[in-house]
Amino acid sequence: MKRALFASVAVAAMALSLAARPASAEEMKAEVIHWWTSGGEAAAVKVFADQFTKAGGTWIDSAVAGAANARNAAISRTVSGNPPTAMQLNTGKQFDELVEGDLLADVDAVATEGNWKAVMPAAIIAAATRKGKMYAVPINIHGQNWLWYNKAVLASVGAAEPKSWNDALAILDKLKADGKVIPLAFSGQKNWEQNLFNSVMIGVGGAQMWTGILGKRDVALAQSAEFKQVAVTYKKLKDYVDAGAPGRNWNDATNMVIQGKAGMQIMGDWAKGEFVAAGKVPEKDYGCTVLSNGSGGYVMGGDVFVFPKAKDPSTTKAQMTLAKLMLAPETQIQFALKKGSIPVRSDVDASALDACAQKGMRYVADKAQQMPSGDMLAPPALIGALQDAISQYWNTDMSADDFSAKVAVVLKSQE
Amino acid sequence: MRLSLSSRASTISALLPALTVMLVVYIGATGWTVWMSLTNSRMLPNNNFVGLRQYELLLGNDRWITSVHNIVIYGVLLVSLALAIGFLLAVAIDQRVRAEDTIRSIYLYPYSMSFVVTGLVWQWLLNPTLGIQHVLRSWGFQNATFDWIVRPETAIYCLVIAGVWQASGLVMAIMLAGLRGIDEEIWKAARVDGLPKWRVYVSIVIPMMGASFATAAVLLSTAVVRLYDLSVAMTNGGPGIASEVPAKFVMDHLFERANIGLATAAATMMLATVIAVVAPYLYWRARKGEIR
Amino acid sequence: MTALAEPLPAVRRRTRMTPARWGLYAFILITALYFLLPLYVMVVTSLKPMAEIRQGNLLALPMSPSIDAWIKAWTSACTGLTCGGIRVGFFNSLRILVPSVIISILVGSLTGYALSLWRIRGASILFGAMMVVAFIPYQLFIYPLVRVFAVTGLGQSLLTIVIIHTIFGLPTMTLLFRNYFASLPVELFKAARVDGAGFYQIYAYIMMPMATPMIVVAVILQTTGIWNDFILGLVFAGRDNLPMTVQLNNIVNSTQGERAYNVDMAATLLTALLPLVVYFGSGRWFVRGIAAGAVKG
Repeated sequence: MKRALFASVAVAAMALSLAARPASAEEMKAEVIHWWTSGGEAAAVKVFADQFTKAGGTWIDSAVAGAANARNAAISRTVSGNPPTAMQLNTGKQFDELVEGDLLADVDAVATEGNWKAVMPAAIIAAATRKGKMYAVPINIHGQNWLWYNKAVLASVGAAEPKSWNDALAILDKLKADGKVIPLAFSGQKNWEQNLFNSVMIGVGGAQMWTGILGKRDVALAQSAEFKQVAVTYKKLKDYVDAGAPGRNWNDATNMVIQGKAGMQIMGDWAKGEFVAAGKVPEKDYGCTVLSNGSGGYVMGGDVFVFPKAKDPSTTKAQMTLAKLMLAPETQIQFALKKGSIPVRSDVDASALDACAQKGMRYVADKAQQMPSGDMLAPPALIGALQDAISQYWNTDMSADDFSAKVAVVLKSQE
Repeated sequence: MRLSLSSRASTISALLPALTVMLVVYIGATGWTVWMSLTNSRMLPNNNFVGLRQYELLLGNDRWITSVHNIVIYGVLLVSLALAIGFLLAVAIDQRVRAEDTIRSIYLYPYSMSFVVTGLVWQWLLNPTLGIQHVLRSWGFQNATFDWIVRPETAIYCLVIAGVWQASGLVMAIMLAGLRGIDEEIWKAARVDGLPKWRVYVSIVIPMMGASFATAAVLLSTAVVRLYDLSVAMTNGGPGIASEVPAKFVMDHLFERANIGLATAAATMMLATVIAVVAPYLYWRARKGEIR
Repeated sequence: MTALAEPLPAVRRRTRMTPARWGLYAFILITALYFLLPLYVMVVTSLKPMAEIRQGNLLALPMSPSIDAWIKAWTSACTGLTCGGIRVGFFNSLRILVPSVIISILVGSLTGYALSLWRIRGASILFGAMMVVAFIPYQLFIYPLVRVFAVTGLGQSLLTIVIIHTIFGLPTMTLLFRNYFASLPVELFKAARVDGAGFYQIYAYIMMPMATPMIVVAVILQTTGIWNDFILGLVFAGRDNLPMTVQLNNIVNSTQGERAYNVDMAATLLTALLPLVVYFGSGRWFVRGIAAGAVKG
């Protein structure tokens, strides 16, 4: 049954390519492993697939839900000598070893041709470059430290959009005193506990704290009074979270804000998908902002595609074609519309994007606000070890001093 | 009975697949795992020898220590509860109840479903704002509390609840078969002696079912050591690291955290523990002459 | 246990409803509730629209039940670019299941037979090693096995996944059959040897026919394990043979996308149907099979 489906897709693709341009000598096939399996994500990936088909190629979709599963499948394939044409990773250090093992093809030529280095944020280019060449194609930017809030709920306690964490805490206090809603909607899973901590760390500690801890692994900084201040602020947020938070999925927390059962949520911009699905309008029903105490920033995460080295020249051709079309300005806009992320190029016409996405583009346009994500600064092992420490701190009555000592140990032990 | 040459050849040929698998797969892969634990491999295996560094890190790792602690609690509770409940269910069904097929199926169906979604359902049921506590309070029991799953001290017991739910049916089936294998004569003799039924069970039947209990215990133990899906689906090791388990530690570090060195060190420790427990038992059985 | 405090009268066609009997049924009812509760939640959730699920009343019956989620799960849920539901992988799962079950039982029974009845030095060591290995999380073997299969040229294919399932089923299968054959009266075996029957003849004509209940047990255990397997199928089966569990994972497991719980429940229940049918169909056999031999430690 699956074969029939793919066969018909292939036939349709061929027919399209024959109609679109004069008969091409060979057919380009690209098998792509990614983890975008939900309805909205699939619609976004389809943008790329359609463009590839228009360019005369056949997109063979190998979606595997769960980033770790997809990576596992892709790496098993690569290692067993049957690599996919393209595989998805997060922008960051995940492909270091693939480059070191000489398993990836570089896309420097396409990057130069498309003048990517002039239109992408420096941190993202750096994250995609190894040994002076670009090995990954960044395709989007997901902001990780957004604050989403229900306009009506905040208005009911006379609060305006918060600018800093101090503002936010004041509003949370008001909501708690009012007693009608849960102040902070929270999903008690390790990675979101870490995401919340990160938002506080950059929002309260600023850019220096962010790069110092995650990038430089400054042990002294981890034991400084400023870091402990971040930890104390973080733990304070627990007072505004409800008892059912542990284990809750992030969408259910977003749903609390949508339904007016909670005031606000800290979540990446993929949360927008939930608002859209529920028919809510940005800046009318809900608001979006990034908190900063002065020197903070917009934490940029995102996705990249890498291309395992292929022996077959037609595969290489398919890879470079993919790389090129993924960064085409119009494709970038279409993808961003469907995915909820913002384009990775700054020179696109943002008027089609919604109010929150446009806000995001303004943040990114300001060089001082461009913050690399944790993944770009540190390897998965360090991020994971920090995650365990943060989660322990959040869920037990560990003191800020003990937590700071623990973080210092983690930073020291990861070379 | 001495084996003729052709018999010996046949036997060895029949055992060849198992032998090959054992050597290549199990011993080979286990050897690779142990070797990896002595390197600093991250996402891809490398051969940079670092001695026992990974084990040092492991012993200082809060999450690993909690995992080991948790699996012992989970193991003891699951095996004893599933054995007890499975046995009681089997005894109950053995009383020639009506609709035996339906009842037996009700107890067995959990085994057919993987934990990925059933774990989520249990999470909902045990969540205080969604599940049983919420329902009880909405029925008027204002002070009803059942929030084990959101409290670090008690989260592991929630895994036990779901684990017992899934495993008891299989145990019941094993026990029921064992019960049905007991001679009718025994019951008749007991009735003649005027023994109350429960005494027959306790003094005669249970001792005769030693083998059933042993098989069930072994199957349950393998499931305990390999516990992963449930921990991910129900609590994801939380709140915090309160319900982490060793197999999840291994998996997380193998894939998501791209730390093959640490993961294989943890797996080697698990293996060593199992050998330490199983080897003496097998030796004892061999001494008793039951294994040739 | 009050249910059995008093001795029951001799069994007649109609057993009297004594207080003990009522107690027994009460016990069965209460335990059945515990077992059925999650199933109830799953079915009820699968019949509700997402808007109602978001309200959060877990145990409430659906206000306007609909089987939309079921249809979507089977035919049109998105699992990536393809939105074909879990139906897409159904035949792949079957194609993996049938040969894997047959071959793993064949190899396991042969191994168990050899270990139990034929005196070979080192049999106990092999058997002991197999038991220990059954405790290891199988995910650890994925990377080395990937390399082994790449080196031998087998790569990812239907043959590969069948071999993999046989390998991982070997310890349990061997255990079951070894114990069963060891529990049979040894006179049978000796008589056959005296008659001049060889190794494979005894296996094929005497032992396996007698092992029918055990074979059914093995079928049930292997069917459940192989049908619900995800990661091995993902890594070893090859793109054209991906089992249904891969689609199920794609539907249910999503890091940043929206989640349709009703479809998730429906998809899980649909996936569980095949093992359930196998259980119902051979429930009787299952019990009798375990009786025969697995129990002898």
